[in-house]
Amino acid sequence: MRRTIKLDYADAIGGVLLIVGGIWFALYAMNYDMGTARRMGPAYFPFGIGCLVALFGLGCLLGALRRAGAMPVIEWRPFFAICGAVLAFTLVIERFGLIPATIALVLISALADEKPSATVTIILAAALCLVGVGIFSWGLGIPMPILRWTN
Amino acid sequence: MELFSNLALGFSEAFSPQTLLYCFIGVFLGTFIGVLPGIGALATISMLLPLTFHVPPTAALVMLAGIYYGAQYGGSTASILLNLPGTPSAAVACLDGYPMAQKGRAGVALFLTTIASFVGASLGIIILTAFSPMLSSVALSFGPADYFAMMVLGLVAAATLAQGSPVKGISMVLVGLALGMVGTDVQTGQQRFTFDIPQLSDGISLVALAMGLFGVAEVIASIRRMGRNEGAKEKITLRSMMPTGQDMKQSTLPMLRGTGIGAIFGALPGAGATIASFISYAVEKKVARDPSRFGKGAVEGVTAPESANNAAAQTAFIPTLTLGIPGDAVMALMLGAMIIQGIQPGPRLVSDHPELFWGLIASFWIGNIMLVILNLPLIGIWVKMLAIPYRLLYPTILLFICIGVFSVNNSAFDVLLVMLFGIFGYAMMLLRFEPAPLILGFILGPLMEEHLRRAMLLSRGDLMVFMERPISAGFLLSTAALLAWAGYGLLRKRKADSLEAVEAATPAADLARRAP
Repeated sequence: MRRTIKLDYADAIGGVLLIVGGIWFALYAMNYDMGTARRMGPAYFPFGIGCLVALFGLGCLLGALRRAGAMPVIEWRPFFAICGAVLAFTLVIERFGLIPATIALVLISALADEKPSATVTIILAAALCLVGVGIFSWGLGIPMPILRWTN
Repeated sequence: MELFSNLALGFSEAFSPQTLLYCFIGVFLGTFIGVLPGIGALATISMLLPLTFHVPPTAALVMLAGIYYGAQYGGSTASILLNLPGTPSAAVACLDGYPMAQKGRAGVALFLTTIASFVGASLGIIILTAFSPMLSSVALSFGPADYFAMMVLGLVAAATLAQGSPVKGISMVLVGLALGMVGTDVQTGQQRFTFDIPQLSDGISLVALAMGLFGVAEVIASIRRMGRNEGAKEKITLRSMMPTGQDMKQSTLPMLRGTGIGAIFGALPGAGATIASFISYAVEKKVARDPSRFGKGAVEGVTAPESANNAAAQTAFIPTLTLGIPGDAVMALMLGAMIIQGIQPGPRLVSDHPELFWGLIASFWIGNIMLVILNLPLIGIWVKMLAIPYRLLYPTILLFICIGVFSVNNSAFDVLLVMLFGIFGYAMMLLRFEPAPLILGFILGPLMEEHLRRAMLLSRGDLMVFMERPISAGFLLSTAALLAWAGYGLLRKRKADSLEAVEAATPAADLARRAP
């Protein structure tokens, strides 16, 4: 027999995260000098903020216990593809330059689509290389390596 | 008249070729991203924030502002043609705009929204011009305690009046305040929450935070939703846009009422254009002789909210420019752009940087006239742009985000931060937490701490200073009243809420329910 639990999952998870984060933030702030109310040290304000975050997290959690709510659904495919694309850009840009970074970003981000098309992606990557170099390097004169082989 | 000499200064600033160019780029991009569903003013402004490093302050702010009010013009196009709002504040235009399009009156609807936008925006600018200098001279007498109290009120108002639950809104403000603490403490030089990472000693980059929350997170969430986007089939010709005399007569008063509602809600922190447009729709439905016409293509249902959101987009600048208190996330980014340029926002802005303040106001006039031209004779271009598939758009958006962030400090670390905040923002979106209050808290956090410290130093650690000064006491009492009202609303809503918890998942449904 299945018992139905009445719980707003989104708010409950959010509330727990806020409580944990708030307490951690307040405790971490204690590493610094607290000072007095008259002369507040660097720990004073963050400590208060951390406590308030935890308090409101508790409010969020308590509210979630009284009502039902859908479990959030994570769309893993776009999530990994987009994060991977940004990560690839981060890793490539400093060592190899803008053009390889653009190509890496476009190719990986294309995987977020359900049915990625190779032709469209390659044309887009080429076009965006031109646009990126044209606008940012030539147009705005931002000093950025366009293409480099050695580091 | 001082006003005229000020305006003359503003126009001479706004008509300089460079400012004019950036104004055009701003409103053009604003219309573009307003038309396209799946990318909004917030994402675009955060994308262009890094650009402002390379441009003089007035031109930069003129451009960013142009994106914001330009998006209000463009937002209704997709609502009318595809029943898919291009911007959140244009959601209400779907209700009667799409039925008008189905009756073959899409052109008329598009024409009237542009006119309504222009009317709302023009009156909004006049109100902005009239009230700002006054308000900023009042604010000059504020002490640190008053400032602190005003920021508390602004943040609480933004969190409770905006969509969603007030508890979650205030939590997000607090998380923003916490993120604002990262970096070097100004008064003692202590490194806080930097974990010995040298790139964090100047604090978390606003650009990286905003792009992660509004750019990357939005892209992740939109890919599946935008996959089946088909372009509009209608052909919009100039002839098909001409409204009948009856349409104009039916729209005149609603436009003015919408403007009034928008002007008030725009100036309030936290309310903003979206809520103004919903409320104005509700008001029109109440005062109409025959409310049953609404939802079936009533002209007033399109024009009044459109005037309201454009008026709100202009008056939103009042608290931002005169008090340094941003009303919504876009305004918070504008303040961020000012701080990046080394301009201290606050009541002294009007007197210390008249060329910036009046130049911005003058550019609003110029920008709005450009927008009318962009939206009436050139509407066909925008309609065609609705056919651009999202799979071409999102890699482009992502690339611009990455290059933009990288170019600020030539630092790959900042791009990594974007990814982390993107994950953070996506998690927030899944758990239905609003990112906008977080940005407000992030921008105001360091300022609040500074004012609190100064106030406590002056009062020798006595908290009563906040109640003894009438201005700060007034702000704090209003905050308490607002919290009490929100708490009362929460209790009353609880019963009704348990039934429609699932329906509330979409912000539009949530808003529509709250609006009347």
